[in-house]
Amino acid sequence: MAHRLEKRVLLEHASDPALRTLDGYRRLAGGYATMERAYKEMEQDEVLQELEDSGLRGRGGAGFSMGKKASFLPRGEMAKYLCCNADESEPGAFKDRELMQRNPHQLIEGIAIAALAADAGHAFIFIRGEYDEQADILDAAVAEAYEAGYLGTNILGCHRDLELVVHRGAGAYICGEETALLDALEGKRGNPRLKPPFPAVQGLYGGPTLINNVETLSNVPHIVRHGAEWFKGFGTEQSPGTKVVSVSGGVRRPGNYEVELGIPTRELICDLAGGPEEGHEIKAFFPGGSSSPVLTAEEGLDLPYSFEAMAEAGSMLGSGSIIVADDRVSIPHLALRTARFYHHESCGKCVPCREGTNWTVKMLERMVRGEATPMDLDIVSSVQQNIIGHCLCVLGDSMAMPVGAMVRKFRDEFEAVMADPELVLDPHAVVRGAPETLGAST
Amino acid sequence: MSPGGREVTITIDGREVAAVEGEMLHDAARKGDVEIPYFCYEPKLGDPVGACRMCLVEIEGIPKLQTSCSTPVREGMVVHTRTEQVKEAQSAVVEFLLVNHPLDCPVCDKGGECPLQDISYGWGPGRSRVIDEKRHFEKPIELSPLVAIDRERCILCYRCVRFSQEVAEDAQLQLIERGDRTYVGTFDDRPYVAPFHGNITDICPVGALTSYTYRFRARPWDIEHAGSVCTLCPSQCNVSFTVRDEKVKRVIARDNHEVDDGWLCDRGRYGFEMFDAPERVRGPRLKGGEAGWDEAIAKAAEGLRAASRGRRGWSSADNSGEGPARTTPASSGVAAIVGDASNEEGFLLQRIVREALGSAHVDSRPSRGPRADVLRQLAEPAISARVRDIDEADAILVLGTDPLHSSPILDLRVRKAIRRNGAKLVVATERPTALDGGAEAIARYAPGQAAHFASELASAIGGAENVASPVAETLREADTVVVIWGERIAREDGAAEALLDVAKATGMADSDGAGLLEIPDTTNARGLREAGCLPDAGPGLSETAAGMSTEEIRNALVSGEITSLILFGVDPLRDFPDTPAWEEALTAADFVVSFSMHENATTAKADVVLPLETHAEKDGTVTHPDGRLQRVRPSASRPENVLPNIIVLSQLASKLGLDTGIDSQPTAFKALTDAVSFYAGIADADLGGRGLRWQDRNTPELHQLVHPADRQVDAVRERGSVEMPSGSADGELTLGTYRDLWAGPITELNPPLRFLTPHQRLEISPRDAQRLDLKNGEAVRVSQNGNAIDAAVLIKERIAPGTVFLAEGVSGANANGLLNGGSVQVEIEKVRA
Amino acid sequence: MSPVDGPGRNNPSLPVDPAVREGRVPGRAEEEIPELHEVDCPPELAERIETLMGRYPDRRSASIPALWGVQERYGWCTPEGIRQAAAVMRVTPAYLESVASFYDLLHTKPVGTHRIEVCTNISCWMRGGDRLLDAFKAAAGGDDADFFVTGFECLGACDIAPMASIDQRYYGPLEAAEAGVAIEQLRAGDEVLPEKALARRGLAGDA
Ligand SMILES: Cc1cc2nc3c(=O)[nH]c(=O)nc-3n(C[C@H](O)[C@H](O)[C@H](O)COP(=O)(O)O)c2cc1C
Ligand code: SF4
Ligand code: FES
Repeated sequence: MAHRLEKRVLLEHASDPALRTLDGYRRLAGGYATMERAYKEMEQDEVLQELEDSGLRGRGGAGFSMGKKASFLPRGEMAKYLCCNADESEPGAFKDRELMQRNPHQLIEGIAIAALAADAGHAFIFIRGEYDEQADILDAAVAEAYEAGYLGTNILGCHRDLELVVHRGAGAYICGEETALLDALEGKRGNPRLKPPFPAVQGLYGGPTLINNVETLSNVPHIVRHGAEWFKGFGTEQSPGTKVVSVSGGVRRPGNYEVELGIPTRELICDLAGGPEEGHEIKAFFPGGSSSPVLTAEEGLDLPYSFEAMAEAGSMLGSGSIIVADDRVSIPHLALRTARFYHHESCGKCVPCREGTNWTVKMLERMVRGEATPMDLDIVSSVQQNIIGHCLCVLGDSMAMPVGAMVRKFRDEFEAVMADPELVLDPHAVVRGAPETLGAST
Repeated sequence: MSPGGREVTITIDGREVAAVEGEMLHDAARKGDVEIPYFCYEPKLGDPVGACRMCLVEIEGIPKLQTSCSTPVREGMVVHTRTEQVKEAQSAVVEFLLVNHPLDCPVCDKGGECPLQDISYGWGPGRSRVIDEKRHFEKPIELSPLVAIDRERCILCYRCVRFSQEVAEDAQLQLIERGDRTYVGTFDDRPYVAPFHGNITDICPVGALTSYTYRFRARPWDIEHAGSVCTLCPSQCNVSFTVRDEKVKRVIARDNHEVDDGWLCDRGRYGFEMFDAPERVRGPRLKGGEAGWDEAIAKAAEGLRAASRGRRGWSSADNSGEGPARTTPASSGVAAIVGDASNEEGFLLQRIVREALGSAHVDSRPSRGPRADVLRQLAEPAISARVRDIDEADAILVLGTDPLHSSPILDLRVRKAIRRNGAKLVVATERPTALDGGAEAIARYAPGQAAHFASELASAIGGAENVASPVAETLREADTVVVIWGERIAREDGAAEALLDVAKATGMADSDGAGLLEIPDTTNARGLREAGCLPDAGPGLSETAAGMSTEEIRNALVSGEITSLILFGVDPLRDFPDTPAWEEALTAADFVVSFSMHENATTAKADVVLPLETHAEKDGTVTHPDGRLQRVRPSASRPENVLPNIIVLSQLASKLGLDTGIDSQPTAFKALTDAVSFYAGIADADLGGRGLRWQDRNTPELHQLVHPADRQVDAVRERGSVEMPSGSADGELTLGTYRDLWAGPITELNPPLRFLTPHQRLEISPRDAQRLDLKNGEAVRVSQNGNAIDAAVLIKERIAPGTVFLAEGVSGANANGLLNGGSVQVEIEKVRA
Repeated sequence: MSPVDGPGRNNPSLPVDPAVREGRVPGRAEEEIPELHEVDCPPELAERIETLMGRYPDRRSASIPALWGVQERYGWCTPEGIRQAAAVMRVTPAYLESVASFYDLLHTKPVGTHRIEVCTNISCWMRGGDRLLDAFKAAAGGDDADFFVTGFECLGACDIAPMASIDQRYYGPLEAAEAGVAIEQLRAGDEVLPEKALARRGLAGDA
């Protein structure tokens, strides 16, 4: 059974494979009762109010109030859209996968209720192409929901229509950025758009569009069912609710754990995820996915795991994904891996991101090959500064912040590697523990 | 693009700048003389993309720097473009741009006129800290037979692909791959062949896209730029000739919003190498061979005078043969047909014909056209549209023409109106057009049915239920309608009158910005008509004794009624309908003087051949179809033995005893403006670089100058309803002929464009193709009472069953050999291999 | 910078370009929107794309799904397949190629029948992702017709690091040795590493 430190709301009953089916969802979780109530008894504004009062913050990265965002959509007769962001491509994040795989109907019910709040008639789930298995599960669930009359025209006889399409991406992290997602959904290359205009005003096909993350929307049925007060009973004042946290890297039990926001980070990493391997220490960790500046063990382990605490510490909670690096991980190599990812995923539209990620990778490669000087370290740092705040979207910053932080916090390690790359321990050894030289690792 | 309109004041670098609310900050700054560096911004390419990040500025109240190219101006905005923060961002962007740029300026064609070079010096960090390997591509490679692409130099500003997407709308040029692997390319690496693709070399801010025709030809510091006008088609786009050693090396756009919006078609851009084609007529020539100018002009005068005496008339003893012939016009045996000529040339020529040779037989149309009284009404300022009216029109009717082929730049203009302004397009033509895709309603009438269709349309707009009703609605609902119509429909009786009815039905006269815009068959048709090159109207469309139209002249040559002919810038055997008839006519003629730029089938039959200047060499004016007088300026040197056309004409005149007092462009222009009532008082200075539309000079009397005569309703228009194409089972096919953009000397005499030379293709509907068991590309013979043309089958879904189409002007298999006139029986039999 | 006129004149170091005067006849015809009768698109593919277009307010939204369709039909996004989809969607093939080339899972070059993507991103890398990739490459040998093995960015399964996606299904945590087993099972057409399939895993917190 679930660990005492877990507080399962979204993952309640998730251990039971039956939850995946409409019957199971109805039987185990009283599924769709809330939606039925909302559609039959509640006004758009009541639902909106409930969501705003709950203080639910987006679980996709930005942490913006979900209710507020929904309230930004203009009222009146026009085609409005709802997009569920299921692109989950940030290194370290795998919570949405779990939620869709184990409880697809919870998401669909959440979408149906959110659509009511946003007065949207057309909804899309943009799921990353790699999640083929989960997309199949969603397709089946959506079909069941149409069958049962929770989707389609004149839903539950309430004269409301909602079309829901599961749209599979084809492999591009940038499509998780909300405006790039819209372009991809419109059949184009997934390039981010200039903001303003914001999607809430001018989004998909130029119509007002609400975009929310899978976990955010999965929260909706629970909030509308139990009320905002109940929801605020969990977590902290500024980070209400529970959070499904993905923990991975140098821990014994990597996986998704649903906890109240605000619990000590140490409990998440060491108790729930089992902490580092025997005889090893935590050196640093990404508190919110690979885009969040790394925190050293000293800085981070005793912080409450909440949006505000992480922000205060100069990092962020982001998508709620913790990647742990233990004492054998070479930070310069970690920085290179991180940079390579963003270089590979940069859409190429804007100059600082396209060229900055590419240049950073080249410099870091030189460093781990021992072909760099301390002056190059300063260049790397200033290049990160030159990227931050100058790009079209924040993908560039998403590399510059963690890489910048690594250079700042582990300068000595970089200098050591540059001096003699052979010194560096093999990052692969995290599991097997046997130190080796670096050969294949970069 | 059209901003909110309200005048606001913003502060840039401490200075107050007046701006229009909603316009982009970058534009406001430019108007306020504040220079903000940029690469990707170009309003003509549609909405800003904000990709290069070069234009970042600081706006008070906004923490992050903003891209000025995409930030709409608001009242009271306080902007800083020179702060440390901004400077750092700018030099950062330049440094990033150079991470992958080869910096091979010394061997780059763009060197010296390269925005990246300039901005790097002006805003860059001075020295780059990049020591790492740059990305590599095979370079330079052929993007098209005319444009080379060097992908290492590309800074991915999106300009070229946006042009392909947002302006030409051919969607052939795309970005391939992602991130810093992205490159500009085409499907399956096929060539980017599209009629406007040369423009991408103008808008590329680096040396990534260059024209093969200009590569290594010259450097910015040893060339001159000469502003002139392209007269290779009626669009009369404004161009700038890049001239080196008095030769044209390149043609680039010279943005004139009133005419071309700053774009050029590839015809105008690459069509300059025929200036030195071997076929160029480089001096006077007689049947025997080369001749001196005096001899040639004397010979021409002699032959013409002889004919002008006619078989009758010419008696009065007091005439020694010198001095103007005093014969009655009708009896003169001389006629003249003008084609590619300036206003002054046309004006002089009609004076020679009328005054020196006493003939009324002068025309400037390939076959026939409306009577003068109808032309006067069509020219009424109240119902004529400007080019720029297209941008704001509620609805656009394209009638009997395909702009892409007959006036390419208007194709882009119509697309822009639809894309940017949501204009509703109605296309009514025989043959599918390039604009069909954006059309709200399309009517396909059978070839030769334009007149009937137009009259049906007029009554349908008026409310009648008929075959044209489906397309009429759109036009009825619109406030401002611009009708773009092809001159060739006016070859049909009653078509022009019907057009006037359409104008009336849409209430054009009372609606500002609405009007007719003609796409004529020849480049300066309007100018020549207004200069007096019409059988029944003199300069300024004035009343005059009626003479013969081109078609009548042709018949008269055969019958012997006319014995001698002046051809100025025309090649009847290539360009006029009914080639066989023209063969006969020219053979029958006693004496033919041909003014021509190049040798062709017609000059081969001429007794005297006189060389013409090219539009890069000549000095004169032309009149745009919308009435805009534009100045063609001499930019390159003439071949040694070629004289200015107006000088040759005035010498010929005086040899014929007519002293025109014209010996230069200024005197010629003066004579023209004196003679054409509504040009009166226009000085060369008034034309400037942008030209002057005579209708826009609000001298009140101007409007009376073109006097409408009462139009009697024509019998021809009382005919039955439009015979829309029918896929009649008996397999009768109606032939339509059209002029292909690339048919003729333009491709045959320009080596760079030769690859575009069209081959004759029989366009046919899938249904008829299936019935006749024809496959794509199959060779067929199209015959019509005795005449036959070979062509390759081209099955097109949008061709109406029952109709087939062939291109005019194609060498070897010229559709002018067959007749478009009305419904024609066309047999197709497979060529037995 | 010395002024240059004509191919390489008074600057022999310049590349001499044969096209300076003459536009060569292009190798192949340019590609506009092909008409249906020109492409003979398999009816089932055409039907599928038509249906897809029907699911969206704007038909262009179907471009990625349509390309998935092409890839399933031909193994990769072949030029012919792209032309067929373009004809049905009434867009230029260039547009679809541009879209296809943007996404990592759509292939504009031929690939093997079985697609194996090995995660080499942070969490998997820490746990031996690179070695796993090498192991798969070695096990697949040079067999490019049957196998397409590639390193991949985070696949969203760091909990089972090091992991791989085999024919769009997730497996992990994998020992290098299991690469060979998986390849053999694929060759034999057997179920792949059943006990390592993500689908079979329970919630981490339940353990
Ligand atoms: C480069 C980039 C990648 C992103 N990827 C994701 C993603 O995979 N999933 C997601 O939900 N949000 C992602 N986001 C955040 C979205 O832009 C957006 O803020 C979010 O989907 C809003 O939903 P929420 O308010 O429910 O969090 C990404 C943002 C950026 C800049
Ligand atoms: S080729 Fe030129 S215009 Fe096109 S993207 Fe590159 S730099 Fe811009
Ligand atoms: S000009 Fe503004 S971003 Fe390029």
